[in-house]
Amino acid sequence: MSSSWRTALTLLALALLPRWAGAQDEVPADDHAHHHVTAPSGSVVMNENRDRLPRDCSAISRDYAFTIEAGRAYAADRPGSLFGYSLNELAVEPCSRIEITFVNEDEVRHQWMVHGLPAYLYPAGMFHLETPGKTRARGSFIVPGDDRTYLIHCDMAQHMEKGMRGQLVVGRGSGDLWGVAGVSDDFRRSDYLPGFAPALVAGAVALAALLAWLALRGSPFKE
Amino acid sequence: MAAADDGGRGPAGRDRVRARWLLVAAVLLALAAWPPQWYPLPLRLKLTEWFGATGYRALPESLPAGAAEPEPYCPPDPENWRGRHSIEGVEIGESAACVADNPWAVAAFVRGTNNVSPDTLARSGLTADAVEKGRDLDGDGDPDEIHIRLEVAELNGASTLPGGPVTRYEIAPGVRPGLWVFAPKLVGMAVENFESNRARPDLRLPSPALRVEQGDRVRITLENAHYMPHTIHLHGADHGFVSASGEGNDGVPFTSEIPVMPGHARTYTLTPRQAGTMFYHCHVQPHVHVMMGLQGLFVIEENRPDNWLQTMNIGAGLVRVPSRAQREVYDRAYDLHYLDLDKQLGERIQTDNDPRLIARSMHREYDVTDATQDYFTLNGRSFPYTFRESLVTGGENERILLRVVNGGSKGLALHTHGHKFTATHRNGGEVPESARSPEDVIWLATSERADLALDLTNDGTHAYGPGIWPFHDHQNAGVTTDGIGPGGNISAIVYSQYLDEAGWPQTRGVSWDNYFTEAYYRKQIPVWQSYAPGLFSDPGFDGRLLLRLVGLAVAAGVLLTLALAALLRRRRPRAE
Repeated sequence: MSSSWRTALTLLALALLPRWAGAQDEVPADDHAHHHVTAPSGSVVMNENRDRLPRDCSAISRDYAFTIEAGRAYAADRPGSLFGYSLNELAVEPCSRIEITFVNEDEVRHQWMVHGLPAYLYPAGMFHLETPGKTRARGSFIVPGDDRTYLIHCDMAQHMEKGMRGQLVVGRGSGDLWGVAGVSDDFRRSDYLPGFAPALVAGAVALAALLAWLALRGSPFKE
Repeated sequence: MAAADDGGRGPAGRDRVRARWLLVAAVLLALAAWPPQWYPLPLRLKLTEWFGATGYRALPESLPAGAAEPEPYCPPDPENWRGRHSIEGVEIGESAACVADNPWAVAAFVRGTNNVSPDTLARSGLTADAVEKGRDLDGDGDPDEIHIRLEVAELNGASTLPGGPVTRYEIAPGVRPGLWVFAPKLVGMAVENFESNRARPDLRLPSPALRVEQGDRVRITLENAHYMPHTIHLHGADHGFVSASGEGNDGVPFTSEIPVMPGHARTYTLTPRQAGTMFYHCHVQPHVHVMMGLQGLFVIEENRPDNWLQTMNIGAGLVRVPSRAQREVYDRAYDLHYLDLDKQLGERIQTDNDPRLIARSMHREYDVTDATQDYFTLNGRSFPYTFRESLVTGGENERILLRVVNGGSKGLALHTHGHKFTATHRNGGEVPESARSPEDVIWLATSERADLALDLTNDGTHAYGPGIWPFHDHQNAGVTTDGIGPGGNISAIVYSQYLDEAGWPQTRGVSWDNYFTEAYYRKQIPVWQSYAPGLFSDPGFDGRLLLRLVGLAVAAGVLLTLALAALLRRRRPRAE
């Protein structure tokens, strides 16, 4: 992308800033309000924020840098998953600045998306990195001062369901989310039963009935 | 009788007396409760002979009509996607029906996503490499190097979280079959926004219609972002058995190549020498994958100078930027993609989330030889949604080209009201002039294509004058949605004077409130309820009959207990 376009986008973002700042946290999702920068590699950084502080922070408490690899390889150790991140849980201090280097090792697109951030800083409450296959992206954002757990995921169809689901724990967090790969259980779980399970259950019922009958033989029918 | 005398004295005897009274009471109750309409016919006739007919008792009243809760027939168009646009020097025609394609995406498909401004690209929703266009090799003013990238996406799939299917896509109100589609490369979330489970408008059924020019050097990269193996087979389009890079190029796992595995990509290449309406589809377990939606139209346009093509037509339908060759003959061109779906197949991706369980369920437990089709779509929707986006619109004396593919597993008996069309091409080959005649039904077997010329001249043969003229599969199942009609692939040829400003046809028949209500397609609303509620609503229940049934049930319970007791009593002496 040419620098003039980058400047234009930055100006556009600044022009829209008062609208965001005046809004409450429940700003409706609006794709056109996002500030996104597309790199020549095709990777996208949306709503990057290196210096604007959340309202409940007086200063940046600490700087973190994480490298997160994404791809098939990172689901290999979790049966029934297809896609994965190298890191599914990030724990950071409130008011800290987090730099993410997102490395996509697959040959298809992947995303690393945080939801629920304050909408006056991050349109639709999102910070988002997206990379085409075999590329990387880098971006930073600043988390608010309260203890809260944020959803991280890839929002391509079925990528979250098939393993790309993480959580960002700020401070003490607000409780584990469901279905975070390798951290918490799925809310819905299939029944993994062998084919002989019905026969096994029927056999157990029959055996129990037989034993009970033997133990009580005759007694219910006696005067 | 000695036992009975005995019984008068001891406790066992008292039980026996009680049992006799109970028996008599139960039999009397059963006789009294037995509904007269269930008496044996000879008895009923005899009773009639003796006593005449019984008195009049009114049948149950009709239940009150439940209010239809229709969604808006025609959703708003806040960014005027329907209007005429000039974007990046591309003249984009008006789209008269009420839901139109994003014109910025159309412009990006014409110029190439690598050749448009960042603003157009951002508004298109596409990635910068979705459709790349390169050099003009024959010097005729249009690009001949075309690189298309397709992903595979799942709609209405499983989730491990609470709530229904995710990346929701409705073919009709409340109807959400599990689907797989080839999809253009899109930036950002697969859903409308974080609060919504609904797929964004450009992620949909059918897989996009692709359009290239005869002689173009075409590369199609399949980026398999799905969790199952897939390929692309270019059905009817001239392609080598191996690609330029020496890889398998026919898409067939048992003859040409290992499928593209999840997370991997492969590029197919072709330089088609013959123009025509072709087809593309996945060839991995095709009896399942093709029927899940992994299929699209593949149009090869005749070579013309300065022929900038709309490489993808998302959701098929109206071609906003037609080719030069089409503009020479026709006023408008439409891509019409017909498909049928088996509800029981689609449900298999909604039950379990584990790809191993899904693979077993779809490829071993599902038996296509026992399959029946439940949903019938035109351009990814069933009636009434077809009327939002797949109307064929025009004015008198116009000429319209319909490129039709039947991607369904059943044949299609496509019928037009008010018009006779002429098939100019079938399956990519030209029909000789001498063999052409105006027809009002054309039979297309699975995967067959036809180019149909529609002439809106009111001459009593080609057209009968302006109106709202339905066109649909004339087989009965095809005009239903899981057996509820009207549904299925019904759409219409609508003349401009019959369209309102928003693009909704000014129909003269019944209200469509039922058809835009989910409950109607869940079979919960009587079909004529909206205008004949007293006549055809559901009747209430017969309370007296219900009471008689309860009486019979009580008598039966008592009789069963008595029978069991008698059985045990008879066995006791032997046990002692």
